[in-house]
Amino acid sequence: MTTKLNEELKSALSERILVLDGAMGTTIRGYELSEGDARGDRFRDNHEDLLNNGDILSITRPDVIADIHKRFYEAGSDICETNTFSGTVLAQSEFFVEDPRKTGGRKDPEFFENQVLNNRELQDLVHELNIKSVQLAKTQADRVAQNDGRKRYVAGAIGPLTVSLTNVVDPNDTSFRPVTFDQVKQTYRHQVDALLEADCDILMVETIFDSLNAKAALVAIKESETNAPVIISAAVGRGGETMISAQKVEALWNTFAHVDPLAIGLNCSLGPDLMEPFLRDLGKAATTHISCYPNAGLPNPLAPTGFDLEPHHMHDYIAAFAEAGLLNLAGGCCGNTPEHIAAIAKSVQGKVPRQIPVLA
Amino acid sequence: MSTIPRLLRLSGTEAYNHTPDKNFLMIGERTNVAGSPRFRKLIKEDKLEDALEVARQQVENGANVIDICFDDGLIDGKVMMAKFLDLIQAEPDIQAVPIMVDSSKWEIIEEGLKHLQGKGIVNSISLKEGEESFKANARHILNYGAAVVVMAFDEQGQAATYEDKCRICQRAYDILVDEVGFPPQDIIFDPNILTVATGIEEHNNYALDFINATRWIKENLPFAKVSGGVSNISFSFRGNNPVREAMHSAFLYHAARAGMDMGIVNAGMLEVYDEIPKHLLKAVEDVLLNKDDGATERLLDLAEEFKGQGAKQLVEDLAWREHPVEKRLEHSLLKGIDKFIDQDTEEALAKYEKPLSVIEGPLMDGMGIVGDLFGAGKMFLPQVVKSARVMKKSVAWLEPLMEKEREEKIVALASSMCSEDPALSNEEARIIATRSFSNGKVIMATVKGDVHDIGKNIVGVVLTCNGFDVVDMGVMVPCDKILDAVDEHNADIIGLSGLITPSLDEMITVAKEAEKRGFGKKGIPILIGGATTSAAHTAIKIAEHYSGPLVHVLDASRSVPVTTALLSEDREKFIATNEENHQKAREKFAGGKKKEALSIEQARANKVVIDWANYTPPVPEFTGTRTIKSQSLRELSNYIDWTPFFHTWELRGVWDSETETLKTRNKEGAKVARELYTEAKELLEKIISEKRFIASGIYGFFPAHSNGDDIILPAHDTTFHTLRQQNKKSGKPNYALSDYLAPERDHLGGFVVGIHGADEWAAELREQNNIDEALMIQALADRFAEAFAELLHHRARIAWGIERPGQFTKSELIHEKYQGIRPAPGYPSQPDHTEKPVLFSLLSAEAETGVELTESCAMHPGSAVCGLYFSHPDSHYFMIDNLQKDQMEDYAKRKDMTLEEVEKWLGPWLGY
Repeated sequence: MTTKLNEELKSALSERILVLDGAMGTTIRGYELSEGDARGDRFRDNHEDLLNNGDILSITRPDVIADIHKRFYEAGSDICETNTFSGTVLAQSEFFVEDPRKTGGRKDPEFFENQVLNNRELQDLVHELNIKSVQLAKTQADRVAQNDGRKRYVAGAIGPLTVSLTNVVDPNDTSFRPVTFDQVKQTYRHQVDALLEADCDILMVETIFDSLNAKAALVAIKESETNAPVIISAAVGRGGETMISAQKVEALWNTFAHVDPLAIGLNCSLGPDLMEPFLRDLGKAATTHISCYPNAGLPNPLAPTGFDLEPHHMHDYIAAFAEAGLLNLAGGCCGNTPEHIAAIAKSVQGKVPRQIPVLA
Repeated sequence: MSTIPRLLRLSGTEAYNHTPDKNFLMIGERTNVAGSPRFRKLIKEDKLEDALEVARQQVENGANVIDICFDDGLIDGKVMMAKFLDLIQAEPDIQAVPIMVDSSKWEIIEEGLKHLQGKGIVNSISLKEGEESFKANARHILNYGAAVVVMAFDEQGQAATYEDKCRICQRAYDILVDEVGFPPQDIIFDPNILTVATGIEEHNNYALDFINATRWIKENLPFAKVSGGVSNISFSFRGNNPVREAMHSAFLYHAARAGMDMGIVNAGMLEVYDEIPKHLLKAVEDVLLNKDDGATERLLDLAEEFKGQGAKQLVEDLAWREHPVEKRLEHSLLKGIDKFIDQDTEEALAKYEKPLSVIEGPLMDGMGIVGDLFGAGKMFLPQVVKSARVMKKSVAWLEPLMEKEREEKIVALASSMCSEDPALSNEEARIIATRSFSNGKVIMATVKGDVHDIGKNIVGVVLTCNGFDVVDMGVMVPCDKILDAVDEHNADIIGLSGLITPSLDEMITVAKEAEKRGFGKKGIPILIGGATTSAAHTAIKIAEHYSGPLVHVLDASRSVPVTTALLSEDREKFIATNEENHQKAREKFAGGKKKEALSIEQARANKVVIDWANYTPPVPEFTGTRTIKSQSLRELSNYIDWTPFFHTWELRGVWDSETETLKTRNKEGAKVARELYTEAKELLEKIISEKRFIASGIYGFFPAHSNGDDIILPAHDTTFHTLRQQNKKSGKPNYALSDYLAPERDHLGGFVVGIHGADEWAAELREQNNIDEALMIQALADRFAEAFAELLHHRARIAWGIERPGQFTKSELIHEKYQGIRPAPGYPSQPDHTEKPVLFSLLSAEAETGVELTESCAMHPGSAVCGLYFSHPDSHYFMIDNLQKDQMEDYAKRKDMTLEEVEKWLGPWLGY
């Protein structure tokens, strides 16, 4: 079935520019939730605050998450990402396992092995969170599709971790890493299995800060032997390098070309203006579809969404990208509300998508 | 529609795309412990900062990819691969380039892949282990995303010929592309660059085979790449960098034109093609492109012209004389230079005042370095022997002074002990005092009945180098004398050596007697060594007779660690491990599957079938004997097979007499062999011109016929008894030597040769501390004896009419292409040494040649060979084993010996 889906999406992306959704995190902020909302009854006594754990809302405030999906789909999104950006045991441990540094310890492979990866309770919670999140998105996708007759898709969001396989954390031992490749692979595999169990359409390894972490996620996907389409999206800084591991975009494509992803692209960290040159670099190299969902400019605490650019700005940038033949898939990251997405959807309407270069 | 070329695309943090404008992808090889001794040293010493610098320099010098390899027995490759790649992640300029993860172990490769954020290259996989593991590994690599080097190997081994290279690469390509789905542009074939100009004819085409296979791969396997380790090509010219560099550059020039994409290259060892002198380039290209049969010869001649810079070296040679005396002593020891040793020793004595301080200071420091380098495989036995000689010379200079000083010390210590403990007699005090001034003392002897001592001498040298006090009692030493010496010298360790099988029994005797004298209770270790000894035999047959530690020592290089362990704090641990190994060997022996045996009647029924009715045995041109009182040594030297000569010095490999190189994977070893050979040739010339050796021999033919398992010589009232294989065999006969003789009207030959003069000369040289020359003389005497046996056999075959003069080339003779055999009593086809006296008396060999037999049937002098001649075209050597009691009873009866006697002589071959 997923092979068929892959073909279906491929041909769709070649016919028109598909629209992604906007930001989950910054859109949640618009609902002005309290710590109590995030905890609900179930996590009332959790020793860590949960308000910044957006993923937990799929359990404690499913109404809010469902509403956000509904608004993005209605604004024109073909694909929405599940609320699982931090839906891994490793990422969730920040909220549910005591930080060993508080008691003079450190985060190292032993800590993650004993306290996190083999924490049955946490495993179950994360599993549930992924399942619920896919269900929430799917329900809205189907409902909106039924209303306007256009098929909608659900992409399981597989986000970054708070630990890195390449980053040096101990200046006295630059070969020390708090976590191992196999542990990272294991935590991603656990998430991938849950997302697939709930029948999400696409797997989206996104906001890649560290290419080696992402490689572990993609090896996990390969090893799960799924045929689900995969989208890969990296977060690059002003120099066009992944934020932590400093890999340039063409190098990134070379690293992941073997995955044969449905699309590869850039998201987060930069606004569309700063992202453009790197999007062009990637487009020159990649023999697959290109996706792009930049932030709504740079952070601006005075703006209502916390970011600079308004919907009409995003409309103009994305329209220009589309006209330049850079895009197959467009959306927004931080600071992009359903209104921004509606503007983006309008901007790509009727525009010819980028033609995939043929490998010869 | 736009297109993107299907290129090999790799990455570190930067992309590397192998576009057509980059003619050649350079893979840096300096971060490979197998290729770079410096890098290996840094890694072993955990100097990882410096090791990272090596990686950085390669990137700075323009390597497009860096090869990282930790395949070394002393490095935990998996751990180091992870750690080093993590360290690289903190170095922006290094992690920019793609990395080649290089290992022969899959687990190290996979570990490497887990530490690469970019797309690297795996080096390597092959079909060696079959298709299943090949496919599984390829799938794993594809999951991680990496290109792969595929070696042209399959289940049958390495592809050397053009056809095999093409066939295996095609097969690997089809599996990878069609079955695994591997991107073809990410497949890199390594069709094996093999060494040319080795002097072996089938190697002549190796360069062309590689170049042609490259062209074929590029034309027939779309998008696949070709790589290879370039320095292999010029391996025959190691030590001659100008020629090597020219060969690398010319080879790359031609291989790249055929489509070779990349190579593991030391950029520092690459001459610019256009700057290669024209006449050298022509000679090199003639070899690489296999223009004609004389190409190798011509390049060898020309190579001399480019070899070293003689004048420059001479100037450098004396620069070390400017250094302080300690450094000069160290230099002399390391390089084996004895020219200045007396004056430097004298100078050191002036500085250190006491002889012992000189020995324990600069001399032992220097020997410590020698020992370390030897232990690490960086120095070779011939060099160590030289070092030891220099050491001995220095010590000999100091000896008289030291003896005096030592005596004074002992007297002083003994008298102070006596005053502290009045109960102690003067004599007792003296013994204790003497002991406290001694290093570990080792008594060494070749046991009674055996005369072989080259190996023992080498062990003695190595132990001396490492600070042990060695008392070498020589050869044919009776048990009592050995044990008396242990008491007399207060020895810490006993070393027993032997080469022939009866010596094994003698060693058991020594062990039993040593136990009776209480040495076992005192814990004095006995070391067992020599060619016929084995760890299993030691464990099963000797160890039970001795309650102290009893250790088998495989070769000289093991003697130091064993001896050191036995005299160190680790002694108990070492003994426990040794005992454990013995136990295992015993259990294995007891529980081991006994080979299925036939009864002697069944074995005889399965004898070699020869249709004697339709066979006319050849008739020799004479019967009776011919004596050669003094064979021309010059003529003999042409028959020398040098390969075993190098084995004496633990240099493994095969000697190629045409290029005069030792073919071995160990580059340094080959270099040392070459130097050793040069010295040996000089000495050989001296031996020949001064007639230092006398080669005496006798051979003859006698009417003979087989009678069952016996060979009857009716005219001489002589019978040779042979033994028959008793293993149950499928399809093959149960051989006995008598099968090769017709039941009537046939002939048997026999011979004895010996080299006189070597043992005495060697002893004389040892007196003068010329231990290396002494060893070489004995080794050369052995070679002469073997050469003499070859020469006589050659003459005998011609006299027998089964070979024409000049029918075989020298190398064919060495490889025994001829008809007929010359088996010796005591060797596998007839392991019974007691057949030697029969042969000796038949030939009157003792009187005619001066070669004598000891009570253990060893020949004296030690450099001697004897044997029987068989002429039948089917005759060949075989191995007697698994002898059963029924045959032994029968054999004892035939030989008029008791069963016990026969069993004693044939102990190791009994299967019951």
